[in-house]
Amino acid sequence: MTGRPDMKPLGWTRWLRRGPWENGAMSVIGLGILMLTQPFSLDLYTYSFVTILGGTLGFVVVSHFPQ
Amino acid sequence: MSGTNVTPTLVDGMAMRTAAPVARRLRGLSDRSIAWLFILPTMLLLLAINIFPLIWAIRLSFTGFMANLPAPAAFIGIDNYVDILTDEDLWANFQITAHFVFWTIALQVLIGLGLALLINQKFRGHSFWTTVILLPMMLSPAVVGNFWTLLFQPQIGPFNYLIGFFTGIAPSSFTMIGSVALAPWTVVLVNTWMWTPYVMLICLAGLRSIPDYIYEAAEVDRASPLRQFWSITLPMVLPFLMLAVLFQAIQSFVMFDMVNLLTSGGPGSTTELVSITLKRAAFEKWETGYASALAVILFVTIFGAANVYVRALNWVKQQ
Amino acid sequence: MSVVPSPRPFSESSPLTRRIAAVVVVFYAVFTILPLAWIGATAFKSQADAIAYPPKVFFTPTLEGFVDLFTVQTHQSRDFIAKLPPPQTWYEKIARDRDMVIAGPSRVVERFLNSLIIGFGSTILATFLGTLAAYGFSRFRVPLADDLLFFILSTRMMPPIAVAVPIYMMYRWLGLYDTRIGMILLYTAVNVSLAVWLLKGFIDEIPREYEEAALVDGYTRLQAFRKVVLPQAVTGIAATAIFCLIFSWNEYAFNLLLTSSDAQTMPPFIPFIIGEGGQNWPAVAAATTLFLLPIVIFTIALRKHLLRGITFGAVRK
Repeated sequence: MTGRPDMKPLGWTRWLRRGPWENGAMSVIGLGILMLTQPFSLDLYTYSFVTILGGTLGFVVVSHFPQ
Repeated sequence: MSGTNVTPTLVDGMAMRTAAPVARRLRGLSDRSIAWLFILPTMLLLLAINIFPLIWAIRLSFTGFMANLPAPAAFIGIDNYVDILTDEDLWANFQITAHFVFWTIALQVLIGLGLALLINQKFRGHSFWTTVILLPMMLSPAVVGNFWTLLFQPQIGPFNYLIGFFTGIAPSSFTMIGSVALAPWTVVLVNTWMWTPYVMLICLAGLRSIPDYIYEAAEVDRASPLRQFWSITLPMVLPFLMLAVLFQAIQSFVMFDMVNLLTSGGPGSTTELVSITLKRAAFEKWETGYASALAVILFVTIFGAANVYVRALNWVKQQ
Repeated sequence: MSVVPSPRPFSESSPLTRRIAAVVVVFYAVFTILPLAWIGATAFKSQADAIAYPPKVFFTPTLEGFVDLFTVQTHQSRDFIAKLPPPQTWYEKIARDRDMVIAGPSRVVERFLNSLIIGFGSTILATFLGTLAAYGFSRFRVPLADDLLFFILSTRMMPPIAVAVPIYMMYRWLGLYDTRIGMILLYTAVNVSLAVWLLKGFIDEIPREYEEAALVDGYTRLQAFRKVVLPQAVTGIAATAIFCLIFSWNEYAFNLLLTSSDAQTMPPFIPFIIGEGGQNWPAVAAATTLFLLPIVIFTIALRKHLLRGITFGAVRK
């Protein structure tokens, strides 16, 4: 939407593209939910909430990066 | 989002022809103020009913407050969170919830997609039967869940009788709700019965969005029906299926109504989903601070999942 | 009619496949509707028939369940009943035949009334607010529109049971606990998210040119909204209203936790319809039938818009 598609992103903005970051954050959320519900390790369960929280906050930030 | 507004320029153009202040009075409220006037009441209501209580819950989650005692809330830091996240019983409840979510989703996808494929054959009367199949998902889960307790009665209920009739097992020899082994599957069964139509309806929309010419091309290439299914039908339906699965996963993760009336978490705690635990902590044990912490954990989890869901929603919308 | 069969289009499968599909689908439909049919049948059974073993499919229909549902009765001896004046109405007669005397109406009428008042009240409010907000989001450049819309939707995803904990505190504090106003506000808040998303979809589909033409003709924005957009959106508004009504009608968790009697609706009440010696299943079934019937009718009326409703307007067929 912003910027012409043929324009190459300059310098650091290339690292701030939304897509891959969003996928990363979604993976962290998914991982956290798996940790929350897995039956194998109590430690994983204990740290699941921090993971989900991190993923969710990360997603909110990352989804405001340029396309 | 691009090209959102053509009209303001047009209105501005009109305004330019007359003197500006006069025009504003003539045109009534400006677009900007109308936009806010229209959106603000909704936002205020949501702030009052959702955000304000949420902030309150976050605050309470750091206290040992009990709503049935007059004692003021004492700040205890993250103790509630530590309690919840190191409690093996609660961990077990999350696993019970996961078992419930996994199996209802698996069955719903299997049956829902299957039905959608069959209905898409467009036999005579298919729209009538589709409507019949859709009925359960519109009904009140609580009211229906309550009635399923009669259907599952070991002696007098028709469910056991039917099973007995077809398998030869004595109808009074098993109880769907009272047995530790069967109860988790009973809630899966009733939830699948209720929500399979949901998955079916969305899959059907996915199937109908596939243009004919793709199949025509495949037929020219002599692709077998099975190959057509794997390389055309399934990939095209997948975004729709994902949408349905995500929404149902969120719904079942916090399922309360049906399970509360069907088994209320029992026998023992074999069907005690997290929402039932939460209700007990908040409204039976009155451990408000502890329950608030659990509620916050659920909020954050659902909020994270909702983000993923909206991504899927936009993905489907763009197709 | 030509004798030569026309080549079938690619989208249609062979008659045999279609017949098999029809058989399987009808089979599933019959099984899925069976529990509902059983509820409907039980409503017309006598108490003995309702708990008979083996379960009775054929029985003599009676209105006992409905009479039990709507009245409070007391058990009396035959001699006492014989001394009473003869029954005035058909429902008194049904009760007397079972050695019962009607003492008065039951509380179910109040609960039904609550369901109606809270359902319609919240539906009207949510649809009204939703229409305004949807128009705002659809036609104007609102800052952070995507975030606001996501926030609105996320409120709907929140588990009622988790929301209920702080709302319980807030309602106690504000004096809204167990009031109809409190329930109406709460259901409005839950429904307005669906209403905004659904109606935004409907309003997006109305061409802007209509309003632009009206603006050129000298209408103000508000007039254009009222006289051009609203009439075009009327189907969408009606469909949205029915979805809201169904939600409020079906809602259980909030009502269970935030009311105790005055504002209680049907869903938390139905499980507590108890007769002498255990659950009075015909009365429960009668209540359930009366409760579910409107939804069945609405579902049939709404079937063209169901898909939109359950996907927040994202899938339009």
